Amino acid sequence: MKIIRIIAEVCLLYVFFLAGGYLQELLHLPIPGSIVGLLLLFVLLLLKIVPVKLIENGSSFILAYLPMFFIPATAGIMNHLDIFSGRGLLLIGILVISSVLTMVVTAHSSQWIAARSVKRLTRRTYRARNVQGKGKEA
Amino acid sequence: MRILLAASFVLMNVVIYLVMSILYRRYRLPVLLPALTATFTVVVLLMGFHISYETYMIGGDWINRLLGPAVVSLAYPLYKQRHVLWKNLPAILGGTVTGLMVGMFSGLLMAAGLGFSKLYVLSILPKSITTAVAIQISSNLGGDSSLTSVFVMVAGFTGAIGGPYIIKLFRIRSESGIGIGLGTASHALGTAKALEYGEESVSMSSVAMTVCAIVGSIAGPLVAWIMYH
Repeated sequence: MKIIRIIAEVCLLYVFFLAGGYLQELLHLPIPGSIVGLLLLFVLLLLKIVPVKLIENGSSFILAYLPMFFIPATAGIMNHLDIFSGRGLLLIGILVISSVLTMVVTAHSSQWIAARSVKRLTRRTYRARNVQGKGKEA
Repeated sequence: MRILLAASFVLMNVVIYLVMSILYRRYRLPVLLPALTATFTVVVLLMGFHISYETYMIGGDWINRLLGPAVVSLAYPLYKQRHVLWKNLPAILGGTVTGLMVGMFSGLLMAAGLGFSKLYVLSILPKSITTAVAIQISSNLGGDSSLTSVFVMVAGFTGAIGGPYIIKLFRIRSESGIGIGLGTASHALGTAKALEYGEESVSMSSVAMTVCAIVGSIAGPLVAWIMYH
């Protein structure tokens, strides 16, 4: 029974994917149709138009086996094996350096933003408390 | 005949993946991640039996077709963690956008600077984004999806293996910073690593990963356009 439910839900996700592709072409959006489908589903979930129960099993199933769906696309590397030798190894170095940079910059800028908003929040409550205090004095 | 061939390739794919998952669950080593070992096994088998990639893709395409709904299904974890997203929106969005830009430009500039062709440069561009979305962005821009898929894996391993050293060396202190950093730079592999830093890290990382995919699919074409116009 559960398997039928999963298949039906995956079909529904496929419909969202197709709808995303259709919208993307219709509106000439520069983003992939699958992302449009993701945003569409997310908004409909937020608005409670699509109940989460309707996609829960299917999504969990796909996401649990996600790496399996990449195998065919990744296996295409057999036509590009030169990247694992000679100059190709430079690419690996570039990827590692750039990924480290991405992680460090992301983490520090998000920490900086989080610290700033905490400071603003405490300043606001401090000011509010001060105003209250003055009110009492008068 | 063609359908039989396709079905047997699909079956091969599923069986290899399941076997490799069991192996990974037993030893839990990053090098045994099924995405890596299963792909490696498939490539070795194809080359050993002199089967061309094009022949294999008669069946592979069936699986490929599920990548679209796989991207859509990312809406579910994002919805489940919407409270994390709303509560930390400035930090997540600000961190992800800044990091993604630095990541995209640094990769492009280094690759182009060292004289790699446009195909390689464009395939590097979406490396920090989760595979299903990255290969879509790459092929839309004129990159190669299998190169991108391998590059995404390298970016993932950088965070999953190098993460703890990066966190110490560059003094990343908050749980949320660690999570957002790992999710943006190393997608699902980074999120798996974030497990070791606590609940907040994981949820931040998983939300950052999806936000990164959405922002990246908008920013990717823009960055490519800036580079090549």
